[in-house]
Amino acid sequence: MSGAKGSSRGRAALRLLRRRLIQAVPLLLGVVVINFVLIQLAPGSFLDLMTAENQVSDPATIELLRKTYGLEDPVWMQLLKYIWALMHLNFGFSYRQNMPVMQAIWINLPATLLLMMSSIVLAFAVGVAAGVVASVKVRTFWDTLVSVAAMFFFAAPSFWLGIMMIVLFAVKLGWLPVGGMETIGGAGGGLASVLDILRHLLMPTLALGLFYAATYARVMRSSMLEVAQADFVRTARAKGLSRTKVTLSHVLRNALLPVVTILGVQMGTVLAGSVVIESVFSWPGVGSLLFDSVSSRNYPVVLGIMVLGSLVVLAANIAVDLVYMWLDPRIEVR
Amino acid sequence: MERFAFLGRFARNRGALAGALVILGVAMAAILAPLFFPTDPLRIVAQPELWPGEDPAYPLGTDSLGRDMLAMLVHGARATLLIGLFASAVATTIGVGVGAIAGYFGGWVDEISMRSSELFQTIPNLIFVLTIVVILGSTLQNIVIAIGIVSWTPIARLTRAEFLALRDREFVQACRSMGMGDLGIILGEILPNALPPVIVLSSLVVAGAILFESAVSFLGLGDPNVASWGRLVGDGRELIRSSWYICAIPGVAIMVTVLCLNLVGDGLNDALNPKLRDR
Repeated sequence: MSGAKGSSRGRAALRLLRRRLIQAVPLLLGVVVINFVLIQLAPGSFLDLMTAENQVSDPATIELLRKTYGLEDPVWMQLLKYIWALMHLNFGFSYRQNMPVMQAIWINLPATLLLMMSSIVLAFAVGVAAGVVASVKVRTFWDTLVSVAAMFFFAAPSFWLGIMMIVLFAVKLGWLPVGGMETIGGAGGGLASVLDILRHLLMPTLALGLFYAATYARVMRSSMLEVAQADFVRTARAKGLSRTKVTLSHVLRNALLPVVTILGVQMGTVLAGSVVIESVFSWPGVGSLLFDSVSSRNYPVVLGIMVLGSLVVLAANIAVDLVYMWLDPRIEVR
Repeated sequence: MERFAFLGRFARNRGALAGALVILGVAMAAILAPLFFPTDPLRIVAQPELWPGEDPAYPLGTDSLGRDMLAMLVHGARATLLIGLFASAVATTIGVGVGAIAGYFGGWVDEISMRSSELFQTIPNLIFVLTIVVILGSTLQNIVIAIGIVSWTPIARLTRAEFLALRDREFVQACRSMGMGDLGIILGEILPNALPPVIVLSSLVVAGAILFESAVSFLGLGDPNVASWGRLVGDGRELIRSSWYICAIPGVAIMVTVLCLNLVGDGLNDALNPKLRDR
């Protein structure tokens, strides 16, 4: 690839990035407004909940809190103040953790990102491989096997799959730990600790990732079969390239496009799915924090997670757009 | 004639036919539940943690409190199916409404509708459902609405695409030139033609809604008065060391139902689009 061509693609990528970032602003604003509406809909005022939680009954203190939170302002003013606070990453204060909401989420974020990433990598690798096998061996035993497995994992609730894996691999066979992220008391540090975390990560990753693996396998199969009919594939075969070479270097690359699209769209559902999986495996992530906050009606944390979750989705979608552009140079900034 | 050809195509798909039969069976069980098990399924009837097959009177065993698993499962089918159907109805109503208006009017209306559908795709769906349920309260009605609110976007996009394809066809132009109003054209002329693929998609949304509801109930945030399958799995969670069947059985019920709904949806899709059949 020549230098000039490379830099023009770099410029196009930058243009795409800028455009996507500008488009993200109204979306984020929308998320914030929805959040605000939900707060307004909550029965009882925000203040009632807060004072009840902290057992404050002194009228002077309540008055002070009312002023601090601007609850006497008109609703639109409250909304503007809310947006202003969020722009400064001020999501409020979490009484249960006794720290700012942002900090509480920040502490739990790495564990969730680890679980999400490992699930997506597993889903992508297993799903694409299974889809390719099914399409190359179309209408054979292997194709049927992939279809049946995909149907099964597409319908099984992830939390149930997780519990059944715990029963089999942790309780009955004793191969893997029941839950948590690290062995209590530590595994000895260094490599041993990494292996310890991986052992804890395996079942949650499978429980969360297999549903998406099933989705990608189905999409990949039909996409491979479709691309295999394209004219450029016939040309490549006519040129004398072997079937394997055509499949791997021509069909696969183009067939990946729809899978990448779905991957971007599903980033939010993977994050949401981790809430349930973290609860099943006591994984110490944002999902556990959310579950705790939901049960104790700790709204600031719940809403903070919703905004940050939407941010993660937007960032993932932009990343997917860039990958898309790299996979298919014909795609220009729309 | 056309209708019979459609049914024939559907019936030739063995998976879809089997799925339809199973769904029919589950629906019958749900409807006839009070007939088979006239007493309250949450009543304690036998000694706790009877394994399936241990006592012929309770073929699926009893749970940690000694309640009949089979009775709870059959009654749970009512809750699960009803929530799935109603949530899908909510999603379809919102989706068809937004999609029809966006596709028919185009321009800035379209722009706003599609941006808002993007907005609802951006918010992580289950987190949104949990937030709504927690803030507004764990009632059946709120859960149904919350699931509908996170599930309407694919239906809106499909409806919009159908409307875009149909809005400038001759029969629509004929109606317009006769002075028919926009609402009449949308509801009376375009919608009936746009509906078949939308209905297929809503059948798939039922499957998704059942999975959503089961997750919400599993986390203990479902309606406390309703024993859906998800809640049964959640209730059995503490006992997986001694009696894992309490979790396993309702989970299998969820999986089989969702799987069969997916099969039916795929079958309907193939029957409606014969061109795509060989894919």
